Amino acid sequence: MNTIIQNILVFAAIVGALAFLLRKFIWKKSKSKKACGGDDGCGCH
Amino acid sequence: MQNTLAELKRGERATIVDVSSIHIPLKLLEMGCLPGNLVELVQLAPFQDPMYLNINGTHLAIRKETASHIIIEKEL
Amino acid sequence: MSKQINVALIGNPNTGKTSVFNALTGLNQKVGNYPGITVEKKEGICKLPRGVKAHIIDLPGTYSLNASSLDENVVIELLLNKNDKDFPDIAVVVTDVENLKRNLLLFTQIKDLEIPTLLVINMADRMRYKGISLDIDYLEAQLQTKIALISTRKKEGIDNLKHLIANYKEVSVTPCIKASDIDKEYFENLQKAFPNQLLYKLWLVITQDVNFGKTDRKEIDAVANFKTKSKADLKRLQQKETIKRYQFINNVLREGQTIDVSQAKDLRSKLDRILTHKVWGYAIFFVILLTIFQAIYDWSSVPMDFIDSTFAFLSEWTKNQLPQGAFTNLLAEGIIPGLGGIVIFIPQIAFLFLFISVLEESGYMSRVVFLMDRVMRRFGLSGKSVVPLISGTACAIPAIMATRNIESWKERLITILVTPFTTCSARLPVYLIIISLIIPEGRFLGLGYQALTLMLLYFLGFATAVLSAYILNKVLKIKSKTFFVVEMPNYKLPMFKNVALTVLEKTKSFVFGAGKIILAISIILWFLASYGPGDDFNNAESIIKTEYAAQQLSEDEISQHISSYKLEHSYIGITGHAIEPIIRPLGYDWKIGIAIVSSFAAREVFVGTLATIYSVGNDDEATIKNRMAAEVNPILGGPLFNFASGISLLLFYAFAMQCMSTLAVVKRETNSWKWPTLQLFIMSGFAYVVALIAYQFLK
Repeated sequence: MNTIIQNILVFAAIVGALAFLLRKFIWKKSKSKKACGGDDGCGCH
Repeated sequence: MQNTLAELKRGERATIVDVSSIHIPLKLLEMGCLPGNLVELVQLAPFQDPMYLNINGTHLAIRKETASHIIIEKEL
Repeated sequence: MSKQINVALIGNPNTGKTSVFNALTGLNQKVGNYPGITVEKKEGICKLPRGVKAHIIDLPGTYSLNASSLDENVVIELLLNKNDKDFPDIAVVVTDVENLKRNLLLFTQIKDLEIPTLLVINMADRMRYKGISLDIDYLEAQLQTKIALISTRKKEGIDNLKHLIANYKEVSVTPCIKASDIDKEYFENLQKAFPNQLLYKLWLVITQDVNFGKTDRKEIDAVANFKTKSKADLKRLQQKETIKRYQFINNVLREGQTIDVSQAKDLRSKLDRILTHKVWGYAIFFVILLTIFQAIYDWSSVPMDFIDSTFAFLSEWTKNQLPQGAFTNLLAEGIIPGLGGIVIFIPQIAFLFLFISVLEESGYMSRVVFLMDRVMRRFGLSGKSVVPLISGTACAIPAIMATRNIESWKERLITILVTPFTTCSARLPVYLIIISLIIPEGRFLGLGYQALTLMLLYFLGFATAVLSAYILNKVLKIKSKTFFVVEMPNYKLPMFKNVALTVLEKTKSFVFGAGKIILAISIILWFLASYGPGDDFNNAESIIKTEYAAQQLSEDEISQHISSYKLEHSYIGITGHAIEPIIRPLGYDWKIGIAIVSSFAAREVFVGTLATIYSVGNDDEATIKNRMAAEVNPILGGPLFNFASGISLLLFYAFAMQCMSTLAVVKRETNSWKWPTLQLFIMSGFAYVVALIAYQFLK
């Protein structure tokens, strides 16, 4: 039981991370005419 | 022979006469570089360029190239 | 509850507009971007008397409504677009009492848009020193507005300003100058063609390239007789307009303002004599830079060590306290070291922004621009390129955006292209950890060897930037006008509140912006390092046990062999080995290779990646640094991070273009893929070659 929950959590974390990165770099770039608004892809500054 | 702002020496004052040259950016006029206004050369950077000016209380720096299009009348 | 009042703060640069914004909103502010462009959008909420709330926007500083940059366009687009959700109920124009005349130009323009406009006269505390006195009643009557005389420094007059904003309906909307006074014939024709439009607004649409105007513009172009005005004619009219406005302002101020020059105390000219001096000016600038770098290194080392060991402890603690399983491992080996890789940045970023904002706030930065212009021009740059190059030490992205005020396109483009060479804060953790591994402690002339190395790297960044600018200047065939106008503001003691808010905001946006990326990458890396395909990975335990069955190994040693075997056969290990041939000549092993590849998204990922790779399967409580120091070169033996490979890595990071976000910004600012693509390949190729030569030479 414990192992299953842990695996589910890991799976969720990885899917979340992947989705986030794809959105940030791939999806945004394809329509970069609109640029990354909001808190912006920059991250630094 | 007309004098231009580029000939001004450090500490000298002059009155601006004409700024209608196309080489003068609008921004400069908006900052107060207009005919009739008093201009003083506050400081020259090394190599005599750019020029640090006081135009009617506004302090700004421009390059000699731009200054050479501004016609002035030196104060005697 | 009544509706929020929309307030737009507008003003020339250097009028203390941001101080007014900070005084009104305090911590109730947020910074974002205008949709579609990278202009910073600052907004906040201010509580007004009688429970009314004001939504305040701090618009970019501009000298007039004749926009010449993206930032300035934002101002005019908002003011022309009545349908914008942020369209102001009231415009608050912030002026500086010492430059009232020039500041009023913008005021009269906004007033002519028939928007209720308040006039804020800031820095009232300086009136006494400058011998200025104002007849407020007279000015209010002449300018047909309400005036708030305030001092953000002394915190005076803010309540009165709030009161005036709350009563915005009482502010008159009568314009100052009739547009038809500028050129009767032209404007009367214009009005005839568009009887329902505000003349001044039409005029702005005609003369500008504003987005909002596009539809209106077509209509205007459609009416034939307005096309006839050539660009030069329009410019002449703009000049005429400016002169007209100044005439009006001069008339008003002649009665409303008296300046007793004998009262004026002139600190400015004394300071300028030293700070812009031919010799002392440069010497002081150099000393200031030196101090900054030494300070960043020295002051932040204590909190950084503390953060490093705290996260190592946390990771260990998690592992011991939580039930065993995959997710616990993810926490202890992926997420916590990943978070540590973000938090460890905070002290240095905060210090860097502290110094930069102090230099900007004090007015010193303009003197540097003045001093450096002639020198920089020799390299095809502008004096204004100094600001991006210096703020590039924080991050290339805001630095590239700071090039917008460079008037000449060629100078601006070159600045954009070379700015990524300056040592940004994302390189810092990479430098710091490698320097601490390969450069001995000890001091030379009071400066630590390690600090000196760091300074050298900063110098290298600047030198490369300037030299490549020189080459680009020769190579690029672009003709463009070389305007250069820079205001030399008064010296001011930086206000604590402004500096603190800048530091806080920048650090926050780093942690939440870059932080999310680093965290996501560390989670994925952890997964790739903890799982692998095929029998080699899954049967690691039995393979190792049979292999070492003959030797008498302790439990610990066996488990260490197992985890390193697993790592080598995990997804990440396989990828790493695949790219190893490319990076071996530089002195790196496959683990460093993975770190380099993942840091093409963002440099700071490097340390985080190594942290993750080295944590996977490691049980002991050790800091990242200790783990890196313990790594052994698989082929040559000896420590993996030795002098040669360390220097090679430092050089690689100094030159390589490893930041997706910078590339995206360059694309946006240059409006073409050509430049970012060139940057990526030329910079990274150069980095590879230099690192290769360095390693082969030093090994």
